[in-house]
Amino acid sequence: MSDFWDRYGRSVSICHRMPPVLKLALAISVIVAGVAIPVRYWPAYGVLGCLVFAGHSIAGIPLGYLIKRLLIFLPFVGSMAISLPLSQGLDRGWDLMLQIMFRGCLAFLVSLWLVNVMPFEQLLVTLRKLKVPAVVVAILAFMYRYVFVVWDELDKMRTARKARSFSGGSLWFRWRTLSQMIGMLLIRSLNRAERIHGAMCSRGWDGEVHWLDDQD
Amino acid sequence: MHIQDGYLSTSVCLATGAVSLGAVGYSLHRMKDSLGERTVPLTGMMGSLIFAGQMVNFPIGLPVSGHLMGGVLAAAILGPWAGCVAVTLVLVAQWALFSDGGLLALGANVLHMAVLGSIGGYAVMTTVRKLLGGGLRGAVAGSVVAAWLAVLAASAVFCLEFRLSYAASDFDFGNIFTLMVTLHALIGVGEAIITGFVVSVIYQQRPDLIDMAQPTDSRVASSASRFAAAGLVCALAVAAFAAPFASELPDGLDSVAERFRIAASNESTSGLFANYDQIPIAGWQKLSVSVAGIGGSLAVFAAAVLIGRAMPMNSPTIATEAAGE
Repeated sequence: MSDFWDRYGRSVSICHRMPPVLKLALAISVIVAGVAIPVRYWPAYGVLGCLVFAGHSIAGIPLGYLIKRLLIFLPFVGSMAISLPLSQGLDRGWDLMLQIMFRGCLAFLVSLWLVNVMPFEQLLVTLRKLKVPAVVVAILAFMYRYVFVVWDELDKMRTARKARSFSGGSLWFRWRTLSQMIGMLLIRSLNRAERIHGAMCSRGWDGEVHWLDDQD
Repeated sequence: MHIQDGYLSTSVCLATGAVSLGAVGYSLHRMKDSLGERTVPLTGMMGSLIFAGQMVNFPIGLPVSGHLMGGVLAAAILGPWAGCVAVTLVLVAQWALFSDGGLLALGANVLHMAVLGSIGGYAVMTTVRKLLGGGLRGAVAGSVVAAWLAVLAASAVFCLEFRLSYAASDFDFGNIFTLMVTLHALIGVGEAIITGFVVSVIYQQRPDLIDMAQPTDSRVASSASRFAAAGLVCALAVAAFAAPFASELPDGLDSVAERFRIAASNESTSGLFANYDQIPIAGWQKLSVSVAGIGGSLAVFAAAVLIGRAMPMNSPTIATEAAGE
């Protein structure tokens, strides 16, 4: 799964070697520019678009991957944007819709670039440097560590369900079964959290987060 | 469901971001009171769970499918403050891993799903539970109603933010409001059913997990703040239904929007269609809002009753024993 998210996070390029804060600042400034520049200065959008594609190509992220991700993203931004002209009786709101879709895609591509040049653990260290409270970073780190475990658990439950020939049924029945699966997953995860908490306590956990770089 | 970058203007993003930052900061401050040193493992695991739970697709008989959002569920387990933090961090991680949800729009997403969803949802949930007198029925009905209202409130607030982001001439606020709120009344029914089922499973298997924060956190239960929050959410939901009927509201919003626009110097899209006269479709919007309101409320309450009844999974005795204590 993580292979799909930040597939190119571990490759080597100038973009990957940039200081993390600079990457973050670059991404934020391009997104802000994309949202804030009025439509009448449309040449600026061309420049931003070129910048984004240049960034992707320097980072070595192939076009096919971008297109694949965009195709997943487009229905989401599209369904929201299409509701604008739909609600106006199809005679207004088309230009606003296009504007939203364009800005959305631009920002999405910038985010995608950032995700692919900055692996999650680097983001955590950066957040820590930016004085985000230690407990927030600790929870995020914990989440990132265990989301894959919970995922595997979910996969196991899916396999078990398939092995017992679960299929069809009324919508109500299927919703009930799927929700029960989430409920059981929740109980199992919280049981696991209690075990982890016990293990943490036995290793001297007192609720305070200590980071190695705090001692510098 | 997430707001992407580009939907809202920068100034609205900054304003919602400031509100969310305050709310999450306060939640962080309060979270430790209720969960103590269990904060990191419990909140982190809840975050992972919501993250994974959103991957379970619920068929709705169409090519698209729904999924859990989880704000009310997190609040039902962890209490409002840790629930808010958990959902916030899920949103951060979704942006950082999937690039889903946008960076500038993070504040708005947090406001809708974490602040309205967890804190507002918790207020509604406890109020309903109190009215119904606890037990399985109270827990399920509370979470069902809270989940539905939270989705509805989020859609109403989104419309207001959207209105403040663009010039009034670009679109008719009443129409987009109607469409959004009607749609989300339906989406909310889905979220309400999933949340209700999940809560009832947990209540039957591990009743101690529901609202772990409750016993130690007496300040959360102070009725004044809870009623204020419940009132806010209810008012938003009522506003959602009443807005198309009240003709003054768009005008009031217009003036607020004008002020915003002067401050932010937002552009009006001088587009192809801007000069067309809008064809009023007067009848359908009032009708559809009424239908959505009545139908949605009925569906939610029917779901609450059905879920309460349709869960003979196993060991109902434990649930009744726990309820009796």
